Amino acid sequence: MRYLGRRLVHAILLLLAISFSSFALLQIAPGDYFDALRLNPQISAETVDKFRAQYGFNRPFPVRYAQWLRSALGGELGYSLASNSPVAPLLRVRARNTLLLSGTATLVAWLFALPIGIYSARKRGRWLDRVTNLATSTLLTIPDLLLFLGLLLLAVRTGWFPTGGMTSLASQDADPWTICRDVAFHLVLPAFGLALAMLPVLVRHVRTTMIEALEAPFIRAARGHGIPRARLLFRYALPAAANPLISLLGFSVATMLSTTVVAEIVLSWPGLGALMMESIFARDIYVVVAIVMLSSIFLLAGNLLADLLLFASDPRIRTE
Amino acid sequence: MSGNIETDACDPLVRIENLRRGYVQRRPFSGSEYTIEALENATLTISRGATLALVGDSGSGKSTLARCLALLEKPSAGEIWFNGRNLLELQASELCAVRSQIQLIFQDPVSSLNPRMTAQEIVAEPLAIQKGGTRNQQRECAIDWIVRVGLPNNCIAKRPMEFSGGQRQRLAIARALVLEPKLLILDEALSNLDLANQECIVQLLADLQAERQLTYLHISHDLRLVSQIADEVAVMNEGRVIEQQPVAKLFSSPKEDYTRELLLALPSLESICIDRSA
Amino acid sequence: MMRRHKLWITAAVLAAFHAVILFAGFFAPYDYSAQNRDRVFVPPTRIHFIDGDGKLHLRPFVYGFAPEDSTPANYTIDTSRRYPLELFVAGSPYRIGGVIPSQRHLLGVPLPGRIFLMGTDAYGRDQFSRFLYGGQISLLAGLLAALIAVLLGVTIGALAGFYGGWLDEILMRGGEVFLALPWLYLLFAVRAVMPLHIAGWQIFLLLVSVMGLLGWARPARLIRGVVLSAKERNFVLAARGFGASDAYLLTRHILPQTSGLVLTQLALLIPQYVLAEVTLSFLGLGVSEPMPSWGSLLSCLQQYYVLVSYWWMFLPALLLIPMFLFYSLAADALQERTRSVQL
Repeated sequence: MRYLGRRLVHAILLLLAISFSSFALLQIAPGDYFDALRLNPQISAETVDKFRAQYGFNRPFPVRYAQWLRSALGGELGYSLASNSPVAPLLRVRARNTLLLSGTATLVAWLFALPIGIYSARKRGRWLDRVTNLATSTLLTIPDLLLFLGLLLLAVRTGWFPTGGMTSLASQDADPWTICRDVAFHLVLPAFGLALAMLPVLVRHVRTTMIEALEAPFIRAARGHGIPRARLLFRYALPAAANPLISLLGFSVATMLSTTVVAEIVLSWPGLGALMMESIFARDIYVVVAIVMLSSIFLLAGNLLADLLLFASDPRIRTE
Repeated sequence: MSGNIETDACDPLVRIENLRRGYVQRRPFSGSEYTIEALENATLTISRGATLALVGDSGSGKSTLARCLALLEKPSAGEIWFNGRNLLELQASELCAVRSQIQLIFQDPVSSLNPRMTAQEIVAEPLAIQKGGTRNQQRECAIDWIVRVGLPNNCIAKRPMEFSGGQRQRLAIARALVLEPKLLILDEALSNLDLANQECIVQLLADLQAERQLTYLHISHDLRLVSQIADEVAVMNEGRVIEQQPVAKLFSSPKEDYTRELLLALPSLESICIDRSA
Repeated sequence: MMRRHKLWITAAVLAAFHAVILFAGFFAPYDYSAQNRDRVFVPPTRIHFIDGDGKLHLRPFVYGFAPEDSTPANYTIDTSRRYPLELFVAGSPYRIGGVIPSQRHLLGVPLPGRIFLMGTDAYGRDQFSRFLYGGQISLLAGLLAALIAVLLGVTIGALAGFYGGWLDEILMRGGEVFLALPWLYLLFAVRAVMPLHIAGWQIFLLLVSVMGLLGWARPARLIRGVVLSAKERNFVLAARGFGASDAYLLTRHILPQTSGLVLTQLALLIPQYVLAEVTLSFLGLGVSEPMPSWGSLLSCLQQYYVLVSYWWMFLPALLLIPMFLFYSLAADALQERTRSVQL
């Protein structure tokens, strides 16, 4: 329990540091949201300044940071200038969309990576293993940009899948079930692409971990005792391999908010990454900071989750 | 089989008094600290030109004492007098000069020689660090010493991996002697060698001691070896030096119970009884 | 046998690739900004050895276009106009390494013929030349950023590992902050917050420094581990016994132990940062026109009609795959080597 408490405090301090540094970084940069207004000759300089004062842009940096902090704690996370609303509700919708995408992709990737990795480890050196190795190496070197462009091309050429977006116009007011099916249909391509992008790394790690576990002396002893292979694999080797795999899972969860940028942009999925780009071009600074914070929270939460799972599952860590 | 025994009791080369050395450990989850005392009021003397053997069980603090003496670790309390000066009160600049006078040879020659350097570079390194002479002179000196410890001339460009265990230890000895130290500490340096190699190196050390009036501190757990090479023996137990006597006296009439137990553990004590009449 | 020389082979291939990119001016038939408004979206030029009459020519040649109606929909090849391929032609001037002026190009065809090895884009600019020049930007960004990250990582990791204590605590805690930052997002954010019209080289410098400054934490952690174990090795203690200073111990004994790790980290980071630069310029946040970058070459694929009709615009991305493959192979070979050398 004390361990958990210490990690939480640590995480909070870290988040403060991150928010401070990202805020500072964006502050240092010249120019802000109102530059576009300034370029318009019809709007006088005084009007622009009045706008700035209204939104607190002319106050010194620590004051603005404190204001933002207060707003964050109050659940609002600042104000979006481009969409004229508090940031939090904006983020909620977009984050949900992103998590839907990355969650599905992560699930699919792990569902495939585990059996493939384990099987490769079992049949090490045989042709199946070699084929898998080749496939993962190739997938690894394909930049995900290309992957998604290729998928987009596929969608356009064959018309099997929608070419972007999360919902189609037809399903705006339909019943929940139709909306669900529609979203699922749109989800296929981006989730598939993401899963493909994640797969090679996962398969490699699973394979390496399983190989190490299978070569451990206690496994050989168990085999010498005549324990059947399947039982050996699942009751003995897998739990031993679980430790690094759990860390890997934590890492997968941790990056769930940041891996989707390219997918969202190429396939027009309305998620956090897309919002990031829009806010960047609109110089909507509070949204940007909030998104950075949210991703960091996820990263820290993912790592913490992994550590907790390890703590719970590995008796060696508990008795240290 | 030792060199000149100048039992100069009034002017020993080394006098260690009340040395203490503790290691602070932290308990894993509670975070509280506790101290392990590796050395507790250790006291011993080493006479000039003599060979002192330091024996005791593992964990008795022998290596810690050696490292403190070689200035590789800092004791928490006590004094180390070397050649009339207290080493623990020296300034950094004077320390450098003193370092060349005391050298330590490690137990495992594999880890004490940098695997990426050639034999000649290894032996010349102390000179390079102490900036003694030009590059060429350092090189010559190194080759000189490599030959003097009995290694063939053509091996100066080889790496430690290409030598045998005994040869590596010779390299370590050459490296230690290149700065012409007065005191050589051998921390279980012969333990990893087979008997044949041991004999050769013991002979080499004896010759060098006779030639250069070196003082040796041998740390060993091998009492048979000790009986062969030492003039005096000091026994350590749990961080303390409980007894220090000339070797014959120690073996025949030990003062402490612990020493007696150590000696009893040796097989056939009579067969290795020392005959110093020669 | 291939196994043992794997490292050298991949290194040689990579070096050759980088050399071609370095001397882009020589290998590229045209300048990266030379427009041909009448040759918009031309497919890659075919090189022929046998002409329309069935005659074999030893010197390969390309056909010209019929002068009427040259729109992307109806480019017609005119087999009566033959332009032989020439080596070491004099073409548009450029500077080798930005310094030495020259006019020699490896390939070319006499005017008004054109050789578009990878087709042209919306302004009729030769994609092959733009690929080579674009490589200069993307590769240089990746290399510099990786170098900065690794150098910073080595320095910080070595100091933290060697001195330990509170310095170690502070540095590693700081590293955790950096590891927790979503660096791609931050990179986007920093870039976009800069005024949109700053000079190309400023954007470049910004990109490189942000990537490098954000990426030191992971190498630092690994280096710290190696330094921690190395500084307890007996040969380090022995050198200390000779009176060696800390700096000497670090440079002569400890850091050489990290060389394998450093090279592996470089081989892993370079493709990562190149890809980051490509993604950025794809999104329009990289160096500005007309200087090309691999990402900007791909950005037109976001338009529907380009994606569907002009397949050759995919080529820059496809050519990247072998390069990443070789980097990955090099990283593997380095890892094997480091593991086998480690005692």
